Amino acid sequence: MERKLILPGDKIADGKHDMPYAYFENGAMYATLIGFIDETGRYMPIEKPYKPLRDDIIVGVVTDARHAGYSVDLGHSSGGFVSSRFVRTRLQLGDIILAKIRSISETGGIMDLGDVKRLPQGKIVRFPTSKIPRLIGKKSSMLELIKKYGNGDVVVGNNGYVWISDKSDIPKIMKAMKIIDDKAHTSGLTDTITQFFEKGE
Amino acid sequence: MGGNSDVKLIVDGKRLDGRTVDELRKIRIQAGIVPAANGSAYIEWGGNKIICGVHGPRECIPKHGANPHRAVIKCRYSMSPFASLEEHGRSGPSRRSVELSKVIREVFENLVVTEEFPGTQIDVFIDVLQAEGGTRTASITVAAVALANAGIPMRDLVAAVSGGKGGDELVLDLGKLEDNFGQSDMPLAFSAKDKKLLLVQMDGLLTKEEIRGIIEMCEKGSEKIIDLQKNALKEVYEKGREEFKL
Repeated sequence: MERKLILPGDKIADGKHDMPYAYFENGAMYATLIGFIDETGRYMPIEKPYKPLRDDIIVGVVTDARHAGYSVDLGHSSGGFVSSRFVRTRLQLGDIILAKIRSISETGGIMDLGDVKRLPQGKIVRFPTSKIPRLIGKKSSMLELIKKYGNGDVVVGNNGYVWISDKSDIPKIMKAMKIIDDKAHTSGLTDTITQFFEKGE
Repeated sequence: MGGNSDVKLIVDGKRLDGRTVDELRKIRIQAGIVPAANGSAYIEWGGNKIICGVHGPRECIPKHGANPHRAVIKCRYSMSPFASLEEHGRSGPSRRSVELSKVIREVFENLVVTEEFPGTQIDVFIDVLQAEGGTRTASITVAAVALANAGIPMRDLVAAVSGGKGGDELVLDLGKLEDNFGQSDMPLAFSAKDKKLLLVQMDGLLTKEEIRGIIEMCEKGSEKIIDLQKNALKEVYEKGREEFKL
C-alpha cells in the first residue's frame, strides 16, 4: 500500500476497526482529521488536539498562586492544578515547571499534577503534539542531537510545550524544530537535522 | 429581489460578468495563512475576499455556556466597514451578521465531532474583507478549510454555493447584481461525501421544479469547490515537505 494523504471524510479502511479520530459508517471507516495512511495501512493524523493521559510529563506555566496550590497553563482547554502538598519549594507566578499528570477528572476537567520541578529561565515554544515522538526520536536521539548542537538544555512536554533554556542557541533550535514540524512525516529525519546543524543551512 | 426589474441579467445566454448560467466565479483558496491561529484559511471567490481563523478547542468562556457533553462552536461572521458600498463604515454586529453567524455555526455543528471535547469551545472567526454577493456560501467554504487545517475532527468537508433565478433562468453562484435584481436566491451547503444538505435558505419565489433544478445544479457546482478545498489543504502539507530541500 502506498503512502497517501487523507482528508476529513476520506475512506481509510473497510470494515469496523478501532481507530482514533475515525468513525464507522456504511461498512467502512472514515477519517475525521488530515493525516497519512502509511505502508501498513495505518492511519496517522498529522495534527490533532492534545488528549492528556495519566503519567504524561508536561511543561507548564504557573498562572495563579494560592494557598492551596498553583494553577498551571498547559496549552489545553482545562488547566492543571498542583496542590501545595506536592511541592517542596514555593512557586511564583510565571514560573515554568515540569510535572507529571497524577489524575484526570472523568469529564476531562482540571488535571492534578505532581512530581513538580521548577525549570530555570527559558523560553516556551509550542509544538504540535502529534509530532512530539519525532522531536524526541528513538531513544531520544533527536533530542540529544538538538541539545548537543544547540549548546543547551531542551525539555519536551507531552502537552506540546517545549522549554528551551536561555543559555542555548534559541534561534538555531527553533529553526531545527520548524524543520522537524514540516518534515515530520518523512524518513531519515535525524540525518536531515544533523546535516542542518553541520552545514548551518 | 423577488420582483421583476428592468435590469437585463442575461443577454445572449451570457450573464453580466460573461459567465454561462451554470458557471462558478473564479475561486482561489489558501490554507494556513495565519500562523497565530490554530487553523486558518483565505478565499477569493469572484470579488469576495474572506479570511477565517479558528481557535480551540479551548476553555469555554463564560463557563456557564459550556456543555458537559460536547464542545460548543462559536462563530462570528463580520463584515469590514470597507467591504462593500452598502456598509456605511460600521462593522459591529448587525441583524444580518448575527443571522449569518448562526447559520454558519449550525452547518459546522453537524460536522465537527464535538463529543470529543466536552466542556470546551471552538471559535470560528470569519472576516469579510471585500464583498460581492454570496459571502455566506464563501464563508462556509473557507471555514471548512480552516477547521480542517486546525486539526479539529470533522466527519466531512462542506462546500456551499448559491443558486437562484435571474432573468427568468436558473443560474449558479449569484453575483452582487444578480442577488439584488434577480428573482430568487437560494444558498445551499453540501457535505462532500454524502452530499447532505446542511444549509438551505431562500429568498424570493421558486416553483417546485425550479428548486429541484437549483439543487441539482448547486450539487454539481459544490463538487468543483470541494476539489479546490482539498487541493488547498493538500498544498499545506506538501509544501512543508518541499520547502526545506537540504
